Amino acid sequence: MGKAYVITSGKGGVGKTTSSANIGTALAMLGKKVCLLDLDIGLRNLDVVLGLDNRIMYDIVDVAAGRAKLSQALVKDKRFDDLLYLLPAAQNTDKTALNEDQVREIVDELKPDFDFILIDCPAGIEQGFMNAIAGADSAIIVTTPEISAVRDADRVVGLLEQHPLQEQPHLIINRIRQHMMKDGSVMDVDEITHHLGVELLGIVFDDDAVITTSNNGEPVVLQAENPAGQGYRDIARRLVGESVPLMEIKDEQQPSFWQKVTHWFRKG
Amino acid sequence: MQDAAVLKGTKDGYEIILDENANLKDIFSSLRKLLDNLKTQTASTNPQTIAFDIYTGMRLWPADDRSELEKIFSDYSYFSVHKITSDVITKEESNRIIEQSSVHIVDKVIRNGQEEHIQGDVLFLGTVHEGGKLFVGGNIFVLGNVEGIIQAGAPDLEDKMIIGDVHNAQQVRIGEQFEILADSKHEMNSGTVIYVNDLHVLDYGKVEDLKQINPKFYNQIGGVING
Repeated sequence: MGKAYVITSGKGGVGKTTSSANIGTALAMLGKKVCLLDLDIGLRNLDVVLGLDNRIMYDIVDVAAGRAKLSQALVKDKRFDDLLYLLPAAQNTDKTALNEDQVREIVDELKPDFDFILIDCPAGIEQGFMNAIAGADSAIIVTTPEISAVRDADRVVGLLEQHPLQEQPHLIINRIRQHMMKDGSVMDVDEITHHLGVELLGIVFDDDAVITTSNNGEPVVLQAENPAGQGYRDIARRLVGESVPLMEIKDEQQPSFWQKVTHWFRKG
Repeated sequence: MQDAAVLKGTKDGYEIILDENANLKDIFSSLRKLLDNLKTQTASTNPQTIAFDIYTGMRLWPADDRSELEKIFSDYSYFSVHKITSDVITKEESNRIIEQSSVHIVDKVIRNGQEEHIQGDVLFLGTVHEGGKLFVGGNIFVLGNVEGIIQAGAPDLEDKMIIGDVHNAQQVRIGEQFEILADSKHEMNSGTVIYVNDLHVLDYGKVEDLKQINPKFYNQIGGVING
């Protein structure tokens, strides 16, 4: 019997969809059977990030409305044999097309066949959010070190306290720019974790490759050397119960042009 | 049969005692008789309005019966009801009084977008995050961390106070007065008292000066009736 996690943040653009795709892929790489549910109805992206947008036949609203069977709507990711599936969102309707019971029913139907069900939540805290948390056993809250994202995460933690899930929520701090955190210009990992009072699941560094890989439909976890991919792989390993130390935050700032010049002069 | 409504003169005026054991029908008819008598007696003298205190003893008078009672008085142009007192209150009322007169210990995290409404005084040990709101009917004693909005005397009591260090708060409010802390520079520590002064402006003092700041608070006597 699988476990359903909702990946949520409140704020838009902090990397919910990217995180869903990467954690899902990383779990599949660990040999787990994973189903990704895109609940961002109207603005579906998860299929694009995974490179599966050309394979969609039916979507989650079709399933909920009884126009398609669940097995017909699931899109298989061929890169991982029989391990990674996507239930895509609908595009031509809005978030009110689904209700909480329908989502719960779909998740319950998926649970016996999968180890992990990851629900990609839309931004905001309206009906779409309520739908997304309805079927979940636990939540993964994604935030960035920006104050506005942390505020929204705080709001979401508050809402999750009002609609408690079976398990306490987890936290991912995404898009960490190491030199900014190192020099104290953004909140650091401990500060954010302590402020939100949520257990930290992992940290992910900001990396250009996250964008390029997502454009190519190949999640960044597939790149063995990439630090962002490493962050997501660590998160997946923690989700399957391994204990993995947090990645160290290093000051990787490149020396600026003038620093290089003065350094060159000093040497001379 | 003893009359179910008895008139009694006190130093404060006239009191009508309604028999707590009589049934309502008897009370009302007896009351009418009493008022009729009074009317004929006062008619000869110089008529003036008399407001009666009604005392109901151990009987609880629900709103319906009270309005019935007041209706009887409205038939007599010179008589009116000043107040209705009794020795008993409803559970609801007593809970409200307990709620208002006790100090509540609040140890929770009030997150962004959440609001907490509490009647009575609050000893606050938790955290109010930025964007969180704590509205308290009475005084607030802060030992926790307040980074959001905190209000004592909600919605409009200006004799309430906030005691403690709230320098991280976004706003402090007492009654209808408020201050945005980013705009004001006030030194604060755990012995800071925020109150509304005689000019109806938020002011900052020290716990040592509480006796001058709010003598009433200092003299507060416990108990349901005196509180």
